[in-house]
Amino acid sequence: MEVDSQEQLQRKQSTYLSLDENFEIQKEVYRGQQYSQIYFARLHMMRTLLYSLVPNWKSHLPVCTVLELEEGKECIIVGTLYKHMKLKPCILDEYSKERSVAPLIKPHNFMHQDDYLVLEDESGRVKLGGTKLSPSVYVTGVVVALHGKETSAGAFFVEDVLEAGLPPQIERPLKSREDKYVVFVSGLSIGSSSSNPLQFQLLVDHITGHLGDEEEQGLAAEIVHLVIVGNSVEISHGLLNGQNLASKDQSRLSEPFKELDILLTQIAASLPLDIMPGSSDPANFALPQQPLNRCLFPGSATYNTFRSCTNPHCFELDSIRFLGTSGQNIDDLTKYSEAKDKLDFLERTLRWRHLAPTAPNTLGCYPFTDRDPFLIDSCPDVYFVGNQEKYETRLLKGLEGQLVRLICIPRFCETGVAVVLNMRNLECHALTFGTQISS
Amino acid sequence: MTQIETLGILEEIQALVSDKLQVVSYKWLSRHFLVSSNVAKRLLAEFVEKHGSGLEVVYSLSGWLKNSPSNYHIQLVSRHKLSEAKQEYDGNCRADVYSVQVCIPEDPAAIWNTEFLQAEELFKRPAPVDNCLRDNRFCGISASFVKRNVDGTTARVAAAQPDSAGTSGPSKQNSSQTNAALPSQQNKVLQSSSKVAQHTPIMVKDVKSDGIREVHNLAVKPSTDKKKTTSLPSNKNKDQNGKSSTGNEGSLATLWGRACTKPKSSSVPEVGCDSIQNFNGTADAQICAREAVEDENSDLDAYEVNFRRASYGEGNKKRRVVFDFSDEDENEDAVNLASPDPPERKSLLGSEQDSKTLVPERPNSIVDKPNKDEVNIKEETMTDGEPNISLREETSLVSKRTNGRNSVVKLESQLPDTAPNKMDEVTDAAPNSPKRRKVIKTHIDDHGGEVNEVVWEGEETEVKKVENHMPKKVGSGTTNAEANTVTNTTNRPSAPQRSPAVGSTAPSNPGGKAGNKKAGNAKDPKQGNILSFFKKA
Repeated sequence: MEVDSQEQLQRKQSTYLSLDENFEIQKEVYRGQQYSQIYFARLHMMRTLLYSLVPNWKSHLPVCTVLELEEGKECIIVGTLYKHMKLKPCILDEYSKERSVAPLIKPHNFMHQDDYLVLEDESGRVKLGGTKLSPSVYVTGVVVALHGKETSAGAFFVEDVLEAGLPPQIERPLKSREDKYVVFVSGLSIGSSSSNPLQFQLLVDHITGHLGDEEEQGLAAEIVHLVIVGNSVEISHGLLNGQNLASKDQSRLSEPFKELDILLTQIAASLPLDIMPGSSDPANFALPQQPLNRCLFPGSATYNTFRSCTNPHCFELDSIRFLGTSGQNIDDLTKYSEAKDKLDFLERTLRWRHLAPTAPNTLGCYPFTDRDPFLIDSCPDVYFVGNQEKYETRLLKGLEGQLVRLICIPRFCETGVAVVLNMRNLECHALTFGTQISS
Repeated sequence: MTQIETLGILEEIQALVSDKLQVVSYKWLSRHFLVSSNVAKRLLAEFVEKHGSGLEVVYSLSGWLKNSPSNYHIQLVSRHKLSEAKQEYDGNCRADVYSVQVCIPEDPAAIWNTEFLQAEELFKRPAPVDNCLRDNRFCGISASFVKRNVDGTTARVAAAQPDSAGTSGPSKQNSSQTNAALPSQQNKVLQSSSKVAQHTPIMVKDVKSDGIREVHNLAVKPSTDKKKTTSLPSNKNKDQNGKSSTGNEGSLATLWGRACTKPKSSSVPEVGCDSIQNFNGTADAQICAREAVEDENSDLDAYEVNFRRASYGEGNKKRRVVFDFSDEDENEDAVNLASPDPPERKSLLGSEQDSKTLVPERPNSIVDKPNKDEVNIKEETMTDGEPNISLREETSLVSKRTNGRNSVVKLESQLPDTAPNKMDEVTDAAPNSPKRRKVIKTHIDDHGGEVNEVVWEGEETEVKKVENHMPKKVGSGTTNAEANTVTNTTNRPSAPQRSPAVGSTAPSNPGGKAGNKKAGNAKDPKQGNILSFFKKA
C-alpha cells in the first residue's frame, strides 16, 4: 500500500445551508382543492407588494379593482395576467367532432399573432389593449400593475406596465479572498443511448482529484460543491408503458440507477453533492418536485456529503444564495412566450419575482392551499437553470444594486459541458470534456 | 516504490495488455495495485516508455482552450493526435497517460468498461467495509470531513488508510448488522449477537399490545411502506432492535418483498425478533440499516423478511414511531380486499397478555367514552369462544357511540370471548385458513340502502358491513374519522366499522358468520345519510 510522498492537498470547504423547506410538501393531500387557492395566494402577495411600489411609480393615479373601472378614467389596476392563446392545446380538442385542419404535430411554441392578454383579479377580468404590453413577452400567471384607462369597447388600454422588479438582495459580506468553485452539471441521462459514461467518468475523476498533475489537482481541490441539476437518469419509455415487465427487463430498469450510484459514491466520498430531480427522473411530476428517494442510492446515500434536494432548489454556500430549477419552468416559458435567449427568460422570472408563473396553468403544480412557494422573496446571487441546449451566462445588475449571475446549464450527455462558478467573484467558466479519441 | 516492485508491476501490465488484451487505465491500475493515482500515472508513463511501442496509448489532455478563454477543456487523445490537440490549448496544457491498450476501440466508452467493472465489484462489497472506492483514498485530494454512515454509526472516510475492516467497525454497539464472513469482525458479531440474544427474550414476551392505543401496525400494507419511506430521510438512527446476526445483508428487495413473509418459526428463537413489522421505530431503523447495507445480494435466505411479530409494541418500549395518518379520513372508507397475511406464530405467548391488557381496556374505552369518539377496533366474531381460536380468528371490535344501542352491551358480553383474540392481529391477520379471501358483495337491503359487505370466503365468514345509513349521527362521518385516527389499531385504513354493523354482527356472531346482514339494523331509518353519498360504494 503506497502513500504518496508529497503532501496531499486538502479540499476546501464551505458552509452549507439548505433553504428547501418552502418547496417540500410535508403532507401531500388531495382533498379536492382547486388551483384557485394558489392563484389567490399569489395575487394577494404580489398585490400587496405592488401596492407598495405604485406610489413610487405613479403616485397621482388612483388604484382600483377591475370592476371599479370607469370609461375614460385613468387609473391603475393590479391583477393576474391571462394570455388567451389560439394554439394552446386544449383537452376538449380531443373530443371535438370536427377535426380541424390543424396539424397533428404539436408546435414547439404555441404563440400566435392573435393572442391577447386579459387582466384578472377577484372582482373580474378585462381584456387588455394597446401596444405597450406585448403578448409575446408575457404569460399567464404573472401579476403586474397596469396604468391605463378603459376604452369604449370595454377593453383596458394599457399605457404603462409595472412589474415587481428584482427582489431585494441580502448584502453579501465580501469576506472570501480565496477561490472556491461550485460545479453545476445537468442532464447526465445515464441509461440513455446518447450518454457517454466515459465523459462523466472524466468529470468525476477531475473533480475528485484523480486526473491531471498537481497543478490541476490543486484546482480541483478548490471545488467545494457539486450540484446535479436534474435528469440524471433516463429510462427507456418502452419499459414504462404500464405493462408487466419480464424479469430480464426488470434489471434494465435498475441498471441506470446502479451505475449512477457507483459514480455518485465516487463523488460523495470526496466532496459534498446535491442532486435535484428533473423531468425524466423518478420523482413526482408536479412542481415542486420532491427529493429523490434515498433508497435509490443505497451506496451514496450513506455519506454525509450526499444530499437529495427538491426542484426548485435553494441553498446558501458561505452565505451566497443559490436558486435554480431543473428546467421545467423555463421550458414552459419557451413554449408560451418568446425571447432572444434563455437568459432573458431567467431575467424575466426574476423581474416578475416568480419562478414558474405558468404553473399551474400549463406546468404541473401541486395545489397548494395556503401559499405559493414559487414566489421569490429575496434575490439570489446565483440563479441557474438546468437541461438547456447550450451554456450561457450573464451578470444581471438590478436597480437597487443587486447582482445576480444567471446561468444556463447545458445537457451533459449531449454537450459534455459542465459549468464552474467561482464564488469569490461570481465568474463562470465552462468545463468541457472530449472523448473523441481517434478523430 | 522499489525498483523491483515497479518492474514487477510493469511486467504485469505487459501481460494484461498484450495477452489478455485488456485496457489498462491508470485508475484501474491504482485500484488493482493499491497505489495512488499519481503513482499509477507515473507507472503507466514508464511502461509506455519501455514497452509501449506496439501499443496504443491514450492521453488525457487538460488545460485552458485558446479560442474560448473561459473553457477548461479535458479531452482524451490518442498518441498520434497528441501534438495536434495540444495546439488548441493556450499555453501549458498537461498530458498524462490515461490508458494503454492494444487497439483503440470504436466506442470510446469501451475504455471505461474495465474500470467500471472493477468499480462495480468494489461497490458490491459489504457495506461496513471501506475500500478504495468508498473512501477515494487514491486521489490527490483528501477530504477529511466526509463521513460515511454505516449501520447507524458514522465512520470517517479517511483517505490513505489501509483497506482493512477495522476502519469500518467502530462503535457497533447497537447494530448487529454484521457480516459474519469477515473474520476481523467476528468479535463484533459475537458481541452483537449476544446482545440480540439478550433482547430476544424481552422482545418475544413483550407482546404487550397497547392494543387500542397503538396507532399503526406497519407490517403489511403498501401504504404503510410509503409512510416508512417518508420518514426515512430524517432518520438515520441506530438500529436498536437488533438484527439478525446471521449476516443481515438485507437487500432492499426484502423491504418490498412481502412475498417472503413466510413464517419462519424456526428462525425466530435464534434470530430474535427482528421484524419488519415493528412499531417502535424498528421499521425506520431497519430501513436505515438496510440503506446502509449495500444492495448486497439478494441473500434473501440469510435474511428472511419474516419476522412478523404478530404483536405490536414489542422490543423497544421506549421508542415509538408515530406516523402521520392524516390521510386516514379519506382512507377510512377503503375496504381492504387484500388477502391477509398468514398469521405467524401468533404470539401465543402474547395472547394471554393481550387478553389481559385488552379486557381491562376495552370496557374502559367503552365506558369512559360513551360520548366520545368511537373506539374503532374491529372484532371478528369467532365461532366459538375458545381462547385458542385466537389463532384462527381475527379480532375486530367496533364499539360505537351508545345511543341507546345494545350493541355496546353485546360487545361487552363478547369481550371475554373475544379477549384472547389476538389483539395483536387487530387487523385482518388472517386466521389459519389460507384459503380465505375477502370479497365485497353489494346488495340492497330492506330499507333501500346499499350495503357492501366484506365477506370472507372460506371457512369463516365475517360480515363487515359498510352501512350507508347512520341515522342519528349526521356528523358521524367525521367522528368516525377522528375515531379512526385516534384509535385505529388496524394496520390498514380500515373500513368504517359502522355501529350498526357491529350491532348486527354481534348477536349473530356466535351463530357463525354466514353472511347475516339483516341482523340488526335496528336503528336504520328510512332515510339514508347524506354522507353516504360520499362514501365509497
